[in-house]
Amino acid sequence: MARPRLLPAVVRSLLGRPSTVQYPYVKTEVEAAYRGRHYADLKKCTGCSLCAIECPADAIAMTQIPAHLEAPKSNPRRVYPKIDYGRCVFCYRCVTVCPFDAYVTTNFYGMAGPRENTSEQLSLGTLERVV
Amino acid sequence: MVDKVVELPVTIEIPVGPQHPALHEPVLLKAYVDGETVVKVEVNTGYNHRGIEKLCEQNTFYKDIFIIGRVCGICNTVHTDVYVRALEQILGLEPNRRAKYLRVVAMELERIHSHMLINAVMAEVVGFDTLFMSIMLDREKVMKAKEILTGARVMADYMMVGGVRRDLSDADAGRIAKLVEQVRERLTYYKRVFEEDTTITKRLIGVGVLKRVDAVRHTLLGPVARGSGVRIDARVSDRYDAYDELQPEVVVRGEGDSWARMMVRWDEALVSAEIVLSALSKLPRDGSPVPDERKLPRKFPPGEAYTRVEAPRGELTYYVMSDGKANPYRVKIRTPSFTNIVNSAFLYEGYTIADLPVILASLDPCISCMERAVITDLRTGERRTVPFTQLSRGDKAWRGRGFYLL
Repeated sequence: MARPRLLPAVVRSLLGRPSTVQYPYVKTEVEAAYRGRHYADLKKCTGCSLCAIECPADAIAMTQIPAHLEAPKSNPRRVYPKIDYGRCVFCYRCVTVCPFDAYVTTNFYGMAGPRENTSEQLSLGTLERVV
Repeated sequence: MVDKVVELPVTIEIPVGPQHPALHEPVLLKAYVDGETVVKVEVNTGYNHRGIEKLCEQNTFYKDIFIIGRVCGICNTVHTDVYVRALEQILGLEPNRRAKYLRVVAMELERIHSHMLINAVMAEVVGFDTLFMSIMLDREKVMKAKEILTGARVMADYMMVGGVRRDLSDADAGRIAKLVEQVRERLTYYKRVFEEDTTITKRLIGVGVLKRVDAVRHTLLGPVARGSGVRIDARVSDRYDAYDELQPEVVVRGEGDSWARMMVRWDEALVSAEIVLSALSKLPRDGSPVPDERKLPRKFPPGEAYTRVEAPRGELTYYVMSDGKANPYRVKIRTPSFTNIVNSAFLYEGYTIADLPVILASLDPCISCMERAVITDLRTGERRTVPFTQLSRGDKAWRGRGFYLL
């Protein structure tokens, strides 16, 4: 009975480069459309809170925009969605339900860490300071 | 003078599970052994009860789509598909053909990687780690195809009421087809390995034989039943989504042993690869498959729906009831793993301890290895938990304490 030859594959694996990606040192290749870190562009956001209501993981908290930043007139309550990436399941429900398409999506995935990780810096970075 | 010696058998109760790195699901199998032979197995479940059905009642219909995807990581698209189809029945919505085709592609990709995973785990259980690594490496190609299609390797979150959540471009369809073709080649190779390799055949053939009549009597589902000659497949009997046009061939084998169950999985993975390729080659172009989630109906009329789907592990059914409020009144989930594991305790009897993980893995929750033994002294009824490392030190250490390992 002809046996399938596993040995050549084994030797190839021994001599070749390891298939394991050394993750923190080497980045894993992901698709451009991979569901990664996303945040609200506050120039478009009106603070309607729909994303916070619809979030299945309850990861979005509507937070006040600090006084030193200029919020658009369409956002009279001066609130913005702060995403807690530790809670987020990256289903992108907030992205698809947003009536103003305010969410910016990226394929960034390296978010593991000991510190609190939220979209605060990214979202507030889209606004300009009050002169 | 002593002329008669009465030997009292010591019954060893070996708990398999509930926690082990190789386990998919925490299940405890209490195996009672007489020497090496398993005489009785009790199946204890409930270690991973998360109250998802109740959670669904407390969240809206749309939030539940994402909660239900987390019932099981391996088969999340089939879970969401069957739930979303139940919602569509209640709403009276019908997705377009392209959406149905894309759903089938996602579900069949999932079937391929699920079957590859359990076959790899089986190779690991029988001690063939090289094969395990090799299969898992090729499985990454399917995960990549799934990432191209849905946007994530595992958690697809792909199904939505009225369609799917992202469209597939022609270039990406070509890339997926290329990956699946590569995988199909490897699947054929692995099927041959499982047919001809001595390690695999020696450990699997004739182990855990399940007769056709028992499979039907104990309501076993999916590849377990099909490995025993029961022709059961919800894809063929229900023809949901695009399965009316993409008819799968039902793989049935008559042997009924662990090997037949694994071979059914390889054949099914090959059939799935064919379905994916044919679905990609004739993707209909009848409009966008992606519904605008902002315009989907917010209110659900009172009503109920009962839908089923052929998950990689067998028939998965959902019952969803709406009483006209924002949240579902009831979501009942019946998973194939539960029926297959709880009703199959009779399958282990008469086989050895070494066969226990093999039979269990062939049912596809893949719980392997024992961690410690509970020694029951039949004279006093005393039960002691002994680490396995201590047990392996030999018989001598036990003689002084009045225990005999027979």
